[in-house]
Amino acid sequence: MARTLTFKIFRYNPTKDNDEPHIETYELEETPRLNIFTALHRIREKQASDLMYDFVCRAGICGSCAMMINGRPTLACRTLTADLTDTIELYPLPFFKLLGDLSVDTGVWFHDMAKRVESWIHTQKEFDPTAVEERMDNDTANKIYESERCIECGCCVAACATAQVYPDFLGAAGLNRIGRFMFDPRDQRGEQEWFELVSTDVGVFGCIGMMACDDVCPKDLPLLEVFSYIRRKMNSGVQVAVKDLELS
Amino acid sequence: MTGIDTELYPKAETRHSQKSSAFKNAKKALRDERISGLTGAFLAFFILGHLVLESSILVSAKLYEDVAYFMEHTVPMAQPLIFIVTIVFFIHFVWAGRKIPGKLRERKMMLELGKKLKASKKGWQQDPKSDIKLRKHFETSMWITQVRTGMIVLATGAFHLFLVMWNIFTDMGVAGQVVGLTEEVATARVASGLWILYGVLMLNVVAHMAIGVYRLIVKWFADTWFVRNYAKALFYFLFWFYTILGTATVIAMAGPLEGILS
Repeated sequence: MARTLTFKIFRYNPTKDNDEPHIETYELEETPRLNIFTALHRIREKQASDLMYDFVCRAGICGSCAMMINGRPTLACRTLTADLTDTIELYPLPFFKLLGDLSVDTGVWFHDMAKRVESWIHTQKEFDPTAVEERMDNDTANKIYESERCIECGCCVAACATAQVYPDFLGAAGLNRIGRFMFDPRDQRGEQEWFELVSTDVGVFGCIGMMACDDVCPKDLPLLEVFSYIRRKMNSGVQVAVKDLELS
Repeated sequence: MTGIDTELYPKAETRHSQKSSAFKNAKKALRDERISGLTGAFLAFFILGHLVLESSILVSAKLYEDVAYFMEHTVPMAQPLIFIVTIVFFIHFVWAGRKIPGKLRERKMMLELGKKLKASKKGWQQDPKSDIKLRKHFETSMWITQVRTGMIVLATGAFHLFLVMWNIFTDMGVAGQVVGLTEEVATARVASGLWILYGVLMLNVVAHMAIGVYRLIVKWFADTWFVRNYAKALFYFLFWFYTILGTATVIAMAGPLEGILS
């Protein structure tokens, strides 16, 4: 027999006057293979036409529909109601700016992060469009690919206790992005540039190893591996950086 | 082929040519991290050895006596070690404690998130064949536990260090005994009611040490063969092995097992 699911959804519209944050309850018949994303669609169609939440791809690729589902930040489109208890609590992600109900603005934070870590390949080489592409060995390409798989959903930052307290902290997504460019042989940033960017209390040493990012990442990125790599690189890179400075 | 805009992305800037303040700050952050990690690792190794040697009383009082005599008189390492450990203990407190948020409100935010993540498994009844992997998460709460146990260790450990420093150089007024720690002194002290303090200290120090070792390995070596799962297995081993060993030792010293062990 199909279950009747109870959804307890956080509701608040900051643009409306006199609106207070509150919880509203909705009931929905469960159907086979129902996911949270479809359930929210059904609630919006029949019960709450002003319910706000984000979605684009419904396939775990765009990272828009991240929210707190029963206390855990994850993607609504990849969460089946069959995995959940009869009562389902939905909250927006903490840390990010609330746009209304379950919708948060992750874009501004990620844009800011990309600017801070200068998320592009730094090179002095003139681009020659006619030249054959330089070869890269497979391991390096795989490492870059693994870090590049991040969909910027923001689950890692929402689950990070350090980020809640230190809003400047780059978070798992930011450190992962740094790792992606550190792996890349085309990026010519030297030891000293990396060192100044990463070896700070809002960079890799802000991380205190609570590992929530690794546990909640819906894409299973090798976050802890990337952080360890960066840490050790900072540890050994400082001598190289000092040498560079003495030469310059 | 021309006409392709290669100026689309900004060129790398050649800055940082001087010893900038950013560089100094980065060096300081690395130094702080090294200090807190290395002092923690040193204290963890110390505790691993300390509790095993202490547990020699479970074998026999004679063995305990021999170990104490060896470390104080044959090869006098206990005397300098107590000073080193005390200094490292306080350095570790200051440097590792720098990560604890100062405001109550901030600590409450961390606590709430940790509790939520830990409890979130209860709202899920996951099918193993499910689309999304759901792992239990209690490492955030573990860190909070580490803060709490650290504070208890700071208080009880400081007392313990003082007491040991005191009687490693004096004879504690027990007639006819050599200077330093003996089985008789240790047992008398624990049995006199200080077993409460030693019990609390031991349980907290073991939890603090096991969590610390786990986090230290994950932070620095997760990309080597020593992956997180192994580090977690090590955590469980250290925690349970030393909890059981330590509890047995405190009980043995406190007296109720006297008839059985003598």
